[in-house]
Amino acid sequence: MKENVVIIGGGIAGMEAAKQLLALGYCPILVEKEAQLGGHVAQWNRLFPDMTPASEVVDGIREGLGGANIFLDTEISFINKLKDGYSVMLSNGVNVVCRAVLLATGFHLFDARKKEEYGYGIYNQVITNRDLEHWFNGAPDERIGGRDLSKVGFVHCVGSRDVKAGNAQCSKVCCITAIKQAIELKEKFPEAEIYCFYMDLRLFGKKYEDFYIRAQRDYGIHFLRGRVSEVSEDISGCVCVKAEDTLSGKPVKITLDLLVLMAGMVSNPGVGQIASTISLGTDSDGFLKSRDNIYGIIESERRGIFYAGACTGTKTVPETLAEARSAALAIHNYLSSSGL
Amino acid sequence: MIERFASGFHPFVLPFMFGMVFVLGYCLYGLVHIYLQLERRERRQFLLSLITPATIWKNVRDIFLNCLIHVKLWKRNKVLGYMHSSIAFGWFMLIVLGHIECWVYMPHRMKLFYYPIFFNYFVSENEATVGGAIFFFLMDFFLLVVLSGIALAIIKRVRSQIFGMRRTTRPSFPDRIGLYSLWLIFPLRLLAEAFTADISGGSFLTVPMNHLFGRFLGDSMHLLPTWWAYSICLGIFMTVLPFTRYMHIPTEMLLIPMRNAGLKIIHARRGFAKAQVWSCPNCGVCIDACPMNVKKANIKDATVYLNRQIRRGNEKRIEEISDKCLLCGKCTELCQVGVDGPALRMAQRAMRDYAYVPDYKNVTAVGSISAAAGAAAGAISGAAALRSATTGAAVLEAASDSSTAASTKASTGGSVLYFAGCMTALTPAISRATESLLKKAGVNYEFMDREGGLCCGRPLLTAGRYDQAREIIKKNRALILASGADTLLLSCPICYRIFAEHYKLTGIRVVHHSVYFQELIAAGKLKISHSGERLVFHDPCELGRGCGIYEQPREALSSVGTVVEAAESRGKSICCGGSLGSLTLSFAQREPITKASLENLCAGSPDRIVTACPLCRSTFARYADRPVEDIAEVLDSAR
Repeated sequence: MKENVVIIGGGIAGMEAAKQLLALGYCPILVEKEAQLGGHVAQWNRLFPDMTPASEVVDGIREGLGGANIFLDTEISFINKLKDGYSVMLSNGVNVVCRAVLLATGFHLFDARKKEEYGYGIYNQVITNRDLEHWFNGAPDERIGGRDLSKVGFVHCVGSRDVKAGNAQCSKVCCITAIKQAIELKEKFPEAEIYCFYMDLRLFGKKYEDFYIRAQRDYGIHFLRGRVSEVSEDISGCVCVKAEDTLSGKPVKITLDLLVLMAGMVSNPGVGQIASTISLGTDSDGFLKSRDNIYGIIESERRGIFYAGACTGTKTVPETLAEARSAALAIHNYLSSSGL
Repeated sequence: MIERFASGFHPFVLPFMFGMVFVLGYCLYGLVHIYLQLERRERRQFLLSLITPATIWKNVRDIFLNCLIHVKLWKRNKVLGYMHSSIAFGWFMLIVLGHIECWVYMPHRMKLFYYPIFFNYFVSENEATVGGAIFFFLMDFFLLVVLSGIALAIIKRVRSQIFGMRRTTRPSFPDRIGLYSLWLIFPLRLLAEAFTADISGGSFLTVPMNHLFGRFLGDSMHLLPTWWAYSICLGIFMTVLPFTRYMHIPTEMLLIPMRNAGLKIIHARRGFAKAQVWSCPNCGVCIDACPMNVKKANIKDATVYLNRQIRRGNEKRIEEISDKCLLCGKCTELCQVGVDGPALRMAQRAMRDYAYVPDYKNVTAVGSISAAAGAAAGAISGAAALRSATTGAAVLEAASDSSTAASTKASTGGSVLYFAGCMTALTPAISRATESLLKKAGVNYEFMDREGGLCCGRPLLTAGRYDQAREIIKKNRALILASGADTLLLSCPICYRIFAEHYKLTGIRVVHHSVYFQELIAAGKLKISHSGERLVFHDPCELGRGCGIYEQPREALSSVGTVVEAAESRGKSICCGGSLGSLTLSFAQREPITKASLENLCAGSPDRIVTACPLCRSTFARYADRPVEDIAEVLDSAR
């Protein structure tokens, strides 16, 4: 009989791990609280650096999930520690006993309303990176569509590297996402001037730097080093952005038609209850604490509990997928050694 | 009543005389010293106030109520109040009655300094004289009053909680000498007068004691040593007084007239500031008052320690204490002497030599604020264009000078000029709600800094950068006067305070939005519906203690919901922890302050926390478990 493995979270991490475990001969039980699989990635339009459609990635993984048990619209009611395993009670009444549980609970997008000075939820011309991706995906948005945009701004690090917003960590993906979205907007509105307000540009990944150079050279996107201090609305219905250009040491004021806030990744508050019932620790950044941050990222401090993806910190898509595979292998090793 | 000694002298009065002459000499020196440190203008102001009948009356009343009766302590804690007024007022009455006694019976001895103090030793009296009996009774009565105060003081040393004080200062070595000699003075006086009661006469306290002691001591050999001891203790107390906390007794009598004359702290160490520092009684009330003391942190940064370090000349600590303070003003509010801790600190900050002195002369006043910002943006566009020269399309929009200038000037309609300020610019929901309310009430208004404006100057002022603040005030003032408005409306109490105190906007009413909306509601121009929700109002430091506005916001809120009070509110309100006043408190150090303040606010389990300051609102919102809103938002959403 195939051994059960409960996977909490049906984003790309959970899906990929399920796929791998299936291939290794286990019976993964994928629990997702939303009505569909794919998590945050499924809501995105295209992914850097090759503009791969997000749906392609999600669908690709989903194809490998043929025989897996998938519970959508389902949450974890509680988890009990057994002698050599766990009893997981689902909100749909199903109870699963297993020796290994994989947490792939992901992250939470920072609520941009908390940075009130940027005016999200107050001014009609201020949106977030997610709103823009939804619009790219064809969802109507009167804040973006239906008019010609001549000036657009991107604010990097909204809720990231910001102690006052409660998050000291870097979200890793926003720099490159902002560049990607800026290019995509420029393609849709070739006449628009696009400004990116950044603190640092952290372009560490494969082909990220090429992307940045292309954004400047081929698309004429302006990069201004300096945090936006405040946003106000003028009489004509545009937003006024005040910032400082720290390279020249002068204040800057620009009037824009649209301002996109690069909301960062914060820890998923929903995971707190599960973590406390089986006493999993959290790190100083609020994400789940790995056994070790170098060689034990996918392992928790509890036997039989594994992590994959952004539940332990901010991750890119490739990193998440790699961790998911790694976690599947670790679970396999754990089950095969402790079982016999 | 007859005199016992023809000379009217005994050597035991010498220790007292030494102490008395020393302390009077010292106080006279101090008085002249402080007076000479005042600026010429201040001296004139001070002297003029001393001959103005209204201020004379105020001085007498304040000195009586504060130095003798200690009314502020009574309000704080009855036992603490009784302890202080019994010692101060009782002692005062002993001195006054002693002099009257001397003046009535021995007028020719009035010129002897010590005679009224040791009156009982020098006279002989039988109890038949009615007049003497009244005096003896009064003297015994007030001595008993003082003794009861001393007894409480001794208990307070051991258990300060009884007196409503959680924390108190540790007395220094000279303080201890002063303290113990003060404790001894009155029991010794009682003993001395008791031993003398069969000669000089006495009353309900001293006569029975005389009989009692006579019974088992059997002789009068103890008479002289107790008078000696009494005189020595007085001598010690007065000799150490200038080096102890008790210096506050004479200094406060100078501080009160100076304050009533309207003097302000200009220099952190000289003149009026010196009088403030030396008026500190070191009681430590400010330690409990200070919002920074959460979890026993920053205790040594309370105003009492600032005064102590200034007296000791410990420059390093003075700087640290001065920079850390939130300038919330609660210590001054609760201080029985009214030592202005925030003002002392701001003056101290002004003494510092900054490596970089910003210059705002290039900011043009007429031609509007945004023109200046526009000019800066214009300057930057060049640099930006250079960097993206490949596209050659980078032109940052400089806000058009002419149009904005015109809009500012065009507002000559005898209307309301709304200045949101930097903090409200960071909390646009507040300016939105304010505008919406103004529209609902049909007020003709102009939004002065919709697209950015100059800072009001208060952060510079709190950092002690007076010259730079003045520069900004000048520019803003010109703008406001040119607008032709008759009301300046502020939604930020930080701005409000400096506009009200430092701008001299003659003919223009400066009003905080909480007051303005309350008036609009009262006049029926704003219709607000009552939701029955429980609301707690947080008094922002600058609005409450800073400007004395406590009632209007509550009144306005009572039309929306039920106003519940925080555990400590109004003058005792606890700073939100976000204050611009502190130059060195880190974000992490502020967190427990904010949380403690929130806990205080939630004592009445309110549904929403309401404040009237954008900075308080964003600080609280970070950690609050329930909605935190500005009064404008609450009023705007209620209809």
